[in-house]
Amino acid sequence: MTKAFRFSWLLVYAIAYLVFLYLPVLLLPLFSFNDGTIVAFPLKGFTLKWYAQLGQQDTLLQAMVNSLIVGSVTALMATSLGLFAARAYVRYRFTGRELSEGLVMLPLVIPGIIVASSMLVLFISIGLKPSLATVILGHVFVALPFSVSIMKSAFDDFDQSLEEAAFDLGESVVGTFRRVTLPIVAPGIVASLLVTFTVSFDEFVLAFFLSGNSPTLPVYIWSQIRFPAKLPNTLALGSLLLLSSVLLLLIAEYFRRRSIQSSD
Amino acid sequence: MSEQNIIEIQGVEKRFGSFVAVSDLNLTLKEGEFFSLLGPSGCGKTTALRIIAGFQDHEEGEIRIDGRTMGEVPANKRPTNMVFQSYAIFPHLNVGDNVGFGLRKTKFSRKEIKERVAEALEMVELGGLQDRKANELSGGQRQRVALARALVMRPKVLLLDEPLSALDKNLREAMQLEMRRLQQKLGITFVMVTHDQYEAMTMSDRIGVMFAGQLKQVDKPEVLYSQPCNREVASFIGGMNFLDAEVTAENAETLEVNVKGLGKMEIGVNPNVQVHDKELLVGVRPEQLEISAEKPDGYDALVQGEVSDVAFYGESVHYYVRVDGLKDSIAVAVPNYFHTVDHTRGDTVWLGVQSASVIDLGKRESLGGDK
Repeated sequence: MTKAFRFSWLLVYAIAYLVFLYLPVLLLPLFSFNDGTIVAFPLKGFTLKWYAQLGQQDTLLQAMVNSLIVGSVTALMATSLGLFAARAYVRYRFTGRELSEGLVMLPLVIPGIIVASSMLVLFISIGLKPSLATVILGHVFVALPFSVSIMKSAFDDFDQSLEEAAFDLGESVVGTFRRVTLPIVAPGIVASLLVTFTVSFDEFVLAFFLSGNSPTLPVYIWSQIRFPAKLPNTLALGSLLLLSSVLLLLIAEYFRRRSIQSSD
Repeated sequence: MSEQNIIEIQGVEKRFGSFVAVSDLNLTLKEGEFFSLLGPSGCGKTTALRIIAGFQDHEEGEIRIDGRTMGEVPANKRPTNMVFQSYAIFPHLNVGDNVGFGLRKTKFSRKEIKERVAEALEMVELGGLQDRKANELSGGQRQRVALARALVMRPKVLLLDEPLSALDKNLREAMQLEMRRLQQKLGITFVMVTHDQYEAMTMSDRIGVMFAGQLKQVDKPEVLYSQPCNREVASFIGGMNFLDAEVTAENAETLEVNVKGLGKMEIGVNPNVQVHDKELLVGVRPEQLEISAEKPDGYDALVQGEVSDVAFYGESVHYYVRVDGLKDSIAVAVPNYFHTVDHTRGDTVWLGVQSASVIDLGKRESLGGDK
C-alpha cells in the first residue's frame, strides 16, 4: 500500500465525517431563507420574511431577554469565581487543592439531566421556586469549569514576582490585585466572560427543568417546534444563535490567545 | 559608609518541612554598605533575602532594619525595596508608570511624582524614555527600569536578587561598575544575592559566603580570597590548589608544617580558621606559583613535575603540573605578558612556592567528598 493511497482514504473518511457532523447544522440557515413552511427539498425560493417576523413575536423577545439576563449574570458570577479559584490553584499549594480542582471540573462529565433533576429537587425542597435565579445557579455550576480552566491558563505564565513587586513597592494586597493582577489577566477575563455566556445561552436541559414560567431562548425554541407553521421562524432564530455563538467563541479565543502572549 | 547599623539579623532560622533553608543566621550590616550573599544555588541565600524583604516568614530569630524590629511587618511596610531576578516589569504599564508605581501610594502630587520619575530614569541613564512600552525594552533596559523603580522609593536598603544573571557577559560587567557607582553616590545599603564570585568581589564591600543554609564567612573580598575559613569557601572563590600537610609545631602566629609534595615550611596562622589539627589542609592560589624550565632561585619550596595540560585563557595561561606523590595536578596561572605559551604538555618544569602564599585552611575533615 502506498502512502498516497492510504492518505487519500483517510482524507475521504475525514471529509465524510465532517459532512455528517456539520451538514445538518448547515441545513438550518439554508431552510431559514426558504420561502415555504415545509422543511423539504426542493427549495421554494429566497425570502427574509422568517427573519422579519422574529421581531414581532413578544414571547420570543421575552425569552431572548431572559436568556441575555441569565447569560450575563452567569458569565459574571462564573468568571469572578473562576478568577479567584484559578489564582489559588496556580499560586498556592494547600491541602485539598487537587480534590477541589477535580470537583470544580466535575460538571463537565456529569450528565446534564442528572444535575438538572437533582437541582430541581434540591431547590424545591429548600423552597426556591423555579425561576431565572435558579437557572442562573444551575448555569454557574456548569459554566465554572470553563472559566476556571481559561483563568488557569491566564495565571499559569503570570510571573508571581509581578505581584510581589507591587506589594514591595508599598501597594496593599487589594491594590496589588486591582493595579497589577487584574489588568494582566484581563484578556483571560474577557475570554472567560464570552465563553461562559455562550455556555449559558445555549444550555437547554438545566434551563428546561429550572426556568419555570420564564423560559430561556432554547426552552422557547423547543416549545415552538411542536407548531409546524412556526418552524421556519425557529430556523431563522436558530441560525442567528448559531452565528452569534460562533462569533462570540472566536472573539473569546482571540482574547485567550492574547492573554497567553502578553504574559510571556 | 557610616558606623550606623542598618540591618541586624539575629539567630534567624527558616525551615521548609524538615529542610533547613536558613540556619542560625547572624549578620549586621552598616549603613551605606554594599553587601553580597554569595553561594551555590539552593544554599538559602535567596530565602535569606526574601526574609529580609518580608516575603518569607521565619521560625526563629529577629530582624531589625533601621532600628525597628520587623517581626510581622509585611513587605509593603518595610523600608526595603527589591530588584527581582526576573525584573518583574509590569507588562501593561509604560516605563514612566512602572517607575512611578510605588509613588502613587505616597503623598506626592502628580507633578512631584513626574519629577521624581524623570530624575530616577536620568540616574539609570534612561532619561526621556517614560513613554516607552515595557515590551519594547532590552534586557539591560529592563534591569535599569527595575533599579529605578526601586530606588525612586528611596529605600533604606535595596535588595537585589541575582540582578545581573539574565544579562550577557559584556553588559553584565558594565552594569557591575555602574551599579557600584550608583550605590556609592546614593549611599544606600545594597544587599545582593549572587552565585557569581566575580560579581560579588567586584561590587561588594563585604561578602557573606553561604553553604547549605549556613553563613560560613563574612569578610571583605580580599580577605575572603587570602584567608578563606575552610575548603568550601576557598574553592568557591577563585582557583585553589589543595594540599595535605602535617603540623610539626604550633607557634603563636605561625605553624611549622610539612606539606605533601612541597616539603617543610613555616606558614602564617589563618585567623579565620577555628580549629587546627595535626592533619592540616593548606592551599596555594594558582597565580602565586612560579613555573619555570630552569630551577628558579629565592623560593621557600621547589618541586619538579611534568606539564600534563595547558589551557589558554587569553589574559593568562594555566598549566597543570603533575608532581610525584600528589594525586591531583597542581594548577599554575601565568599572566600573558609577552603573548607566549612557554611550556607544552610533557615538559619537565620547576614549581617555586613562597611559604607566605601557602594558606592555612584548618582541619582536613572539611575536605568534603574527594579525599
